[in-house]
Amino acid sequence: MHIPDGFISPQTYVPAYIICAGLWWLALRRVRTRLDEETLPYIAVLTALSFVLMMVALPLPGGTTAHASGIALLAVSFGVWTAFLAVSLVLLMQALLFGDGGITALPINALAMGFLGSLTAWLLWRGLRRIQARAALFLAGWMSVLLPALLVALVLGLQPLIAQDDQGRPLFFPFDLAITLPAVLIPHLILGLGEGVLTVFGHHYLTRLRARHAA
Amino acid sequence: MIELSGVTHHYNGSDVLRDIEFVQAEGEKRVLLGCNGSGKSTLLKILAGLIRPAAGQYRYRGELIDPARLKDPDRNRRFRQEVALLFQNPDTMLFNPTVFDEIAFGPRQLGVSDLEERVQHWAATVGITAHLKRPPFGLSGGEKQKVALAALLVMEPKLLLLDEPTASLDPRSTGWLVDFLADLPVTTLVSTHNLSLAPELGSRALVLGEDHGLVYDGAIAPLLDDLPRLAAANLVHSHRHRHGDLEHRHPHVHDW
Amino acid sequence: MTLDRALLAGYLLAVLAATLVHEPAWLAGALLLTLLLAGRDAAPLLRRALRLVLLFNLAVSLGYLLLAWLRELSPWHTLLLINLRVLLLSCMTFLFMERVNLFKALDFSPNLTWLLGLAYSQALSFRRSYEDFRLALLSRSLRRPRLADRYRASAAAASWFLDRGLATARETALALRARGFFHD
Repeated sequence: MHIPDGFISPQTYVPAYIICAGLWWLALRRVRTRLDEETLPYIAVLTALSFVLMMVALPLPGGTTAHASGIALLAVSFGVWTAFLAVSLVLLMQALLFGDGGITALPINALAMGFLGSLTAWLLWRGLRRIQARAALFLAGWMSVLLPALLVALVLGLQPLIAQDDQGRPLFFPFDLAITLPAVLIPHLILGLGEGVLTVFGHHYLTRLRARHAA
Repeated sequence: MIELSGVTHHYNGSDVLRDIEFVQAEGEKRVLLGCNGSGKSTLLKILAGLIRPAAGQYRYRGELIDPARLKDPDRNRRFRQEVALLFQNPDTMLFNPTVFDEIAFGPRQLGVSDLEERVQHWAATVGITAHLKRPPFGLSGGEKQKVALAALLVMEPKLLLLDEPTASLDPRSTGWLVDFLADLPVTTLVSTHNLSLAPELGSRALVLGEDHGLVYDGAIAPLLDDLPRLAAANLVHSHRHRHGDLEHRHPHVHDW
Repeated sequence: MTLDRALLAGYLLAVLAATLVHEPAWLAGALLLTLLLAGRDAAPLLRRALRLVLLFNLAVSLGYLLLAWLRELSPWHTLLLINLRVLLLSCMTFLFMERVNLFKALDFSPNLTWLLGLAYSQALSFRRSYEDFRLALLSRSLRRPRLADRYRASAAAASWFLDRGLATARETALALRARGFFHD
């Protein structure tokens, strides 16, 4: 989901940037302690991969399309920190190189999709894969869409409370939680199903592929 | 058959094609020459009705063609059946579960009765019968190219556009393709940056220059002797080399 | 401090300022200033920004109009403020993209520049390939492709990118190892 710049108050995005900066620092350290020759190029290429996976059409009946994110797939296959870094870089590229998305919305999206989405997917996969691997992957994909959507809905819906002028008029995103929660969550409840299916097939394919590349 | 006038296109503010104008008659076999990045692929996509040029007109059999006009289902059906484009990277064309389904994809849309025979015939013609039941993804680059070609030819197109078809082929497959195209009774336009193959792929040439304009439209033989023109289009190069004891430099072609 | 780096800092400060000011007149003035700075590019810049924000802002604006009517509020000040701010930020970002080389601006961190550079060039090449996947299906379709075919085409593209991604990462790592990039 793409929120253009200008709907998020500085009271929100500045703290979000601070949290992000901490997480980026942590992620780089985590990735670097395991620094082998492949780490840096992996992150760069996974960033490009994440970018293009967000572009691939998820066909819907009637000729329309939706888009999956591939974040759960990246997280279960390459780890939370790597996925978080890749998604953050995608958001940076989209904001400042492709002119799609925004620099003030970036930390919200990075925290929601990149961090919360990856973490949710990874935890579900780790916790449930021994019980039923496919169900775990499906759930990981589904929830990696739903929980970030919940966070974004909360952030958007709280804007009228966080930032209003002396007459109580909203200064940024104007709708409250009663509207943002259903408006954001209901479509993502359904979109997430597609993400779940993509995660199941994607992981199956990637596992085979990596075995072949390693051979 | 093909008629282009004033076709211009840009991408992200830079020119891709500048004022392209030419006519190609039915049955003619032509070569589209140009160095990498000169706009060959874009021109072929315009001719296949996939991209709308920023300016200018493209007529196919007298009818104006662009993506908007192809929204008309009847026109789209007629045009797509008659005009086929082989993409430079065959991977982008293959998505069916087996090679058989890949070749059958087009005919199934027509609802033909002799599907099995048609597929078998073209698979045999390009020499991939052994792979019919396999998924196309595991094949080699050259084999994928042949599958993609069979999937286009099974529709019996009237105009065949090929984008750098020899780029991913080994010398033996290149030889096969040259012979195959020469015998094919179809109007063809083949793009390449390989000058030494040009006379094998057609009798007339179009040359796109580095400024993205058409710098030559005519017979191939005189073009090949016009080294200054070829050098200007970045199709030949010069570097120091030896003839026996003599060391010197001049523009020349390598047979790669 | 290089020029590009100073312009990046200036852009970020301008973004912050544009979200701290809540007076429509000031935002309108800033929009005008941005367009003046754009000079000859002003018209295409404005068109591009409008195209980017139109859908989302139209939905938000119409929704707010309805909400304000239900709650008997005057919506105009809020609508003007929000739309002006969004448009201003988009125009500023496009002007920044037009005038500043992000890679030069970020060169205080060679690792980040390198990472972003590789990711960007790879992303551009993937995007070109994806366009070819899309056009190839279109060129082979005599009628609107069936849902199953569209799924297969998307799956073929996605798996090609996964395959390519892994192979590219491997090749890059090998090339870097050959150049001694990791022996520090």
